[in-house]
Amino acid sequence: MPYFDHCATTPIHPDVLEKMYTVSKNHFGNPSSTHSSGRKSRAIIEKARNQIASAINASPSEIIFTGGGSEANNMVLWTLTQTEKKHVITSAIEHPAVLKVLNHLEPLGITYSIIPVNSHGRVNADNLKNLIQSDTGLISIMMANNEVGSIQPIISLIETAKSVGIPFHSDTVQVLGKIALSVQEVEAHYMSFSAHKLYGPKGVGFLYKRKDAPLHPLVIGGGQENNLRAGTENVPGIAGMGEAVRLASENLTKRKEHLENLESTFITQLNQECNKVIINGCPNHHLPGVISASFPGNRSDILLAKLEREDMEVSSGSACGSGSIQPSAILEAIGIPEEQNISTIRISFGRENTEEDVIRLAKTLGSITRG
Amino acid sequence: MAETIIVGISGGVDSSVTALLLQKQGYNVECIFMKNWEGDDDSQCAAEEDYKDALSVCDHLGLPLHSVNFSKEYWDGVFQYFIDEYAKGRTPNPDVICNREIKFKAFLNYALELGAKKIATGHYARIEKSNGQFKLLKGLDQNKDQSYFLYLLGQDALSKSSFPIGKIDKINVRTIARDSGLSNHSKKDSTGVCFIGEQKFFKDFLKKYIPSEPGTIETINGQVCGQHDGLMYYTMGQRKGLGIGGGYGKKEAPWFVADKDLSRNSLIVAQGHDHPALFHQELKANQVHWIGGSLPKKLSGLSAKIRYRQADQNCEITHITQDRCTVKFDHPQFAITPGQSIVFYQNDECLGGAMIDVRN
Repeated sequence: MPYFDHCATTPIHPDVLEKMYTVSKNHFGNPSSTHSSGRKSRAIIEKARNQIASAINASPSEIIFTGGGSEANNMVLWTLTQTEKKHVITSAIEHPAVLKVLNHLEPLGITYSIIPVNSHGRVNADNLKNLIQSDTGLISIMMANNEVGSIQPIISLIETAKSVGIPFHSDTVQVLGKIALSVQEVEAHYMSFSAHKLYGPKGVGFLYKRKDAPLHPLVIGGGQENNLRAGTENVPGIAGMGEAVRLASENLTKRKEHLENLESTFITQLNQECNKVIINGCPNHHLPGVISASFPGNRSDILLAKLEREDMEVSSGSACGSGSIQPSAILEAIGIPEEQNISTIRISFGRENTEEDVIRLAKTLGSITRG
Repeated sequence: MAETIIVGISGGVDSSVTALLLQKQGYNVECIFMKNWEGDDDSQCAAEEDYKDALSVCDHLGLPLHSVNFSKEYWDGVFQYFIDEYAKGRTPNPDVICNREIKFKAFLNYALELGAKKIATGHYARIEKSNGQFKLLKGLDQNKDQSYFLYLLGQDALSKSSFPIGKIDKINVRTIARDSGLSNHSKKDSTGVCFIGEQKFFKDFLKKYIPSEPGTIETINGQVCGQHDGLMYYTMGQRKGLGIGGGYGKKEAPWFVADKDLSRNSLIVAQGHDHPALFHQELKANQVHWIGGSLPKKLSGLSAKIRYRQADQNCEITHITQDRCTVKFDHPQFAITPGQSIVFYQNDECLGGAMIDVRN
């Protein structure tokens, strides 16, 4: 079944699977043990740490393994409850793993301001300046959005934060493996990552934390991860993530070009098939292969079900369980009217998609929306 | 390609077996989980559990599962009516309205939009086509028959619906589920009003939506014998929760709600289950609906139920207009309840029904 929902998650890369299998089969030791089995496991996770650090030009000590991107976000935000400055600035199109956390932390004394985004889904650095208060302790703005793919002017946002000495966090879960990312260029204090968005395993991620940035642990217990994340490490998961990040880094140009080609083929075909389609987001600054498309007059849930009948998987809004057709909050924030909002689907291509796949997707969308 | 039929799946055993049977018959089956209520955490959790059960069943059978949220339609079309009726001191039956407004309207239209030819649900009832008319028949399991809840359906809905388990006994439905490895084969049947859950929460629930006005409880002779918390909390024939012991009065017999005097906000009670004030032989009903689309030509051998699972009671319609009817029973009926439905039958066939308005 052709899968076009790579922003939700990705199929595991065969080399990653191989790595995880080998590690699971041969190396069961606890990385905290001092004997040979333990040391071997420890070496495996340190190798992964090195692979990851080198992929983003960080130093290995700046990489903290977590149970995924949401946990990494939480660690950064919860840290504010223990530091002096309690005010956070964030954007209107953050993932719930930022916005809901801030909401949850309000009774614990955290306050926050939300920067609006323009119709392209981008934040204006000047607006950021206006929201800075004397007690602002963190600015948290995602680098690229998961629903419309818009990429923020992250360098100028960080410049602004830097000029007033406020730590900057960015949820970069959607970025790695799609566009180049180096902490030498993007000088954030913290960045959150997840392995399963780049053909790695689920349930594992990492936080990049610059050496001088404060951080308090969420999970307390053993001394793992330099006392910042207790619990015996997910050794095969971390090894798989290391491999996934290495592959993403080595093949970045190839993957990026592939996604760009698929996107342009798809958009060309789609415009031939559907005359009423609207492409949302930012035409100049967006993740390759991530397309938010509205089909006015067609409810997204019906579109999804009909595509599934043709064996094609896409998504609408954010993924949810016993879900509904609540308008997407992110599309609302970028000013999309409700009727268009509920007729919007997200298509996100990946490395295993082919030109034929995306042409067939465009043609199928055409025949469904023509009725 | 096989005809597409969409099953409304609740996570319960009945709708799951419905999907299974249709799949075995060779249809292209897809399932839809409906969410009709946005509630507090408790009802949210229950819906999440039901969704997980539906997901397990669909995964086991290899069927696609979609979700749809009709909570706005439910609120506007069912819940408002429910609250309005209670505010008038009546006892509504939201399930019959839910079937008309949600399952056989919003859901049916949604399924048709998805390209289905028909929908199917796990109701214990049957549909039979004869002489170009679709008839609604009782489920063969007399103990589970749910035609009472379906009397507001019309020809259009029946022509596009299917009730595969209507021919099967509940016990066999569970056996089929177990033999086919469905994980919910022994799941408890749902009871009570779907958005409230257990009956014990009923009072707290109503309190949130309708202001309650306490008043007196009086015997049929006008003697004050207690206080009530608000007429809406009581229904005709109710025995429990009156707060007056059987010892009050001459006999030891329990007390029952006989009537509500809305003008004086009084609850009228009578002592003993067989008290004549609890029985009426005639009622007037409105919102008359006939499944065939118009008044049946032949109304001989008519019977009716004035509540779900009641045995059929012989009766005749003594007066009828487009919207209203007067019904006389062969025998006096216990606790005829305004707001509930009277549903008419000729043997196994459900002809239609009406909303009970007053008793005579």
